[in-house]
Amino acid sequence: MGMGLWGFLAVLSAAAGGISLFVSNPLITSAVWLAACPAVLGLGGVLRQLLKGLEDLERYLKNPDCVPVSKGTWSPSFWESLQKWSARQQTQAEETRQENSRLRLQLQLLERQRTWEQAVLDSIRDAVLVVNEDNQILFANPAARELLNPDAVPEHFSSLGTIETAAALREKIHRCRSGRIRHVRHELTLNVRGQQRIFEAVLSCLPESSPNSGGVVAVLHDISREREISQMKNEFVSHVSHELKTPLASINAYAEMLVDGEAQDADTIRQFCSIIQSQALRLNRLIEDILNISRIESGLVKVNRSNHSIALIVRDAVEMIRSYAQEKNIAIHAPAPILYDQACVDRDMISQAVINLLSNAVKYTPAGGSVTVGLEVDEAEGRLRVTVTDTGVGIPPEELGRVFEKFYRVQANNHMAKGTGLGLNLVKQIIETVHGGRVFVSSVVGQGSTFGFELPLALTGCAAASVGGSS
Amino acid sequence: MAERKALVVDDEFHIVQVVAIKLRNNGFEVFTADNGSQAYQLACTHHPDIIVTDYQMPAMTGLELIEKLRKNPDTADTPVLLLTARGFAIDPQQKESLRVAACLSKPFSPREVLHCIEEVLAQRAGV
Repeated sequence: MGMGLWGFLAVLSAAAGGISLFVSNPLITSAVWLAACPAVLGLGGVLRQLLKGLEDLERYLKNPDCVPVSKGTWSPSFWESLQKWSARQQTQAEETRQENSRLRLQLQLLERQRTWEQAVLDSIRDAVLVVNEDNQILFANPAARELLNPDAVPEHFSSLGTIETAAALREKIHRCRSGRIRHVRHELTLNVRGQQRIFEAVLSCLPESSPNSGGVVAVLHDISREREISQMKNEFVSHVSHELKTPLASINAYAEMLVDGEAQDADTIRQFCSIIQSQALRLNRLIEDILNISRIESGLVKVNRSNHSIALIVRDAVEMIRSYAQEKNIAIHAPAPILYDQACVDRDMISQAVINLLSNAVKYTPAGGSVTVGLEVDEAEGRLRVTVTDTGVGIPPEELGRVFEKFYRVQANNHMAKGTGLGLNLVKQIIETVHGGRVFVSSVVGQGSTFGFELPLALTGCAAASVGGSS
Repeated sequence: MAERKALVVDDEFHIVQVVAIKLRNNGFEVFTADNGSQAYQLACTHHPDIIVTDYQMPAMTGLELIEKLRKNPDTADTPVLLLTARGFAIDPQQKESLRVAACLSKPFSPREVLHCIEEVLAQRAGV
């Protein structure tokens, strides 16, 4: 039908061309006009119908639901075919729309999934690294980039082969790949910014069915801190066992001597019994100190805070230690009262800290020496400072930094007195961990030492009780 | 028979005293020291038949003292008993190379120390 329409248009065009040729000759024109008038009129009718048909067609194409009532120019079969074609086009368009919509949704889901996976991998503190069979890096999360080569620009961070610090890791990856091993654990020591760090590396070959067969996934977990803690724990157990066994050894040995009748007179028996008693007390003090430190460190200690005058706590502590000092012929000079020295503290704990400092001072001061207790208040800074200065043996400069460590004892002064090496650590825990203060020490060998602490003044209210560290 | 001589070394006064009393009560002449350097001097001066020393002492450990004794021909063969609160920490190879006669863990029995000393001295006498 379409071809018929175009053929008709061609004839019409040729006719119009002939008419225009004849119109240029006036003689012919009038004769032709007379003869052609009916034909022209007829042709005008055809043209009008044709234009209407075209308008109908245009309307239909614009809105396929609106099929013209009068089929006019076009045969019914033409409309039928046109409608079928149009319906097919509409179906196809609808299908394309639906497919596009489905693909858009899939894309959004994939993008969301990728963002989520990226966020998960980026938030993992362990280094996650994926390399292909040539050790080209396919993926490295920020922790891995930071660990292996923090200064590298991304384009240089493409091959494990070029990363100097990863030599040990490359060797393990090679072994994992060769053995087609999945989930194998290794311990690696890597040099990270000049520091030796220990890592637990879990390596796994990518499955053979995956696109990167021969690739390896490595997850590196820094276990340096765990190792350090483990070592500290071992040292602690070792120290504790030694410190506990020493008084226990005395108790056991002297008790056996008594049983075996090795004490041959009443004085010796009394002396042995006295040693057993003093060593039992020493053992008890040691256990108490260990428990107190452990409670403070684990945050399980109950702290009863209220406002107290530190001068009064110091005065009471001095009175408790005075008889011990007198036995050794050591003078103690206590501080003068101060108008305002209130601090929000646990009284018993601060008292324990002051007693530990005082007994240490007396212990390491030769007979005839003196111990001076100082108390200063710095209102501008809102802090108070307690100092205990002795005229004792002093501490070598290289050991000053360690005197507050658990179980640390100044070797050069070991002969002066027995101790567990826990007293000063307990002071530090009480002042710094529980009360948010600061401990300090200064010393000159042969002249004496000054131990002390600073605490914040109670300028505002005081929390009645708390558990664990500083508030 | 000449009195047997023993040197007891420990930085814990009560330990030195209890071992010394046990040995004196059982016929030993006893010298005591509270550190490794003093012990070495006493060993060089008095040539004890046996030395009982603590392992963990400040400045010079029991093992360091034995090492020093072994380097001196005068004291190289003196048998040494080691008292320790850390028996597990002593390397068996080191114990062998320094010819430590025996290790006794704290808390120890003075009776056991005496028994061990008698055994070591008897072995040496047999040789």
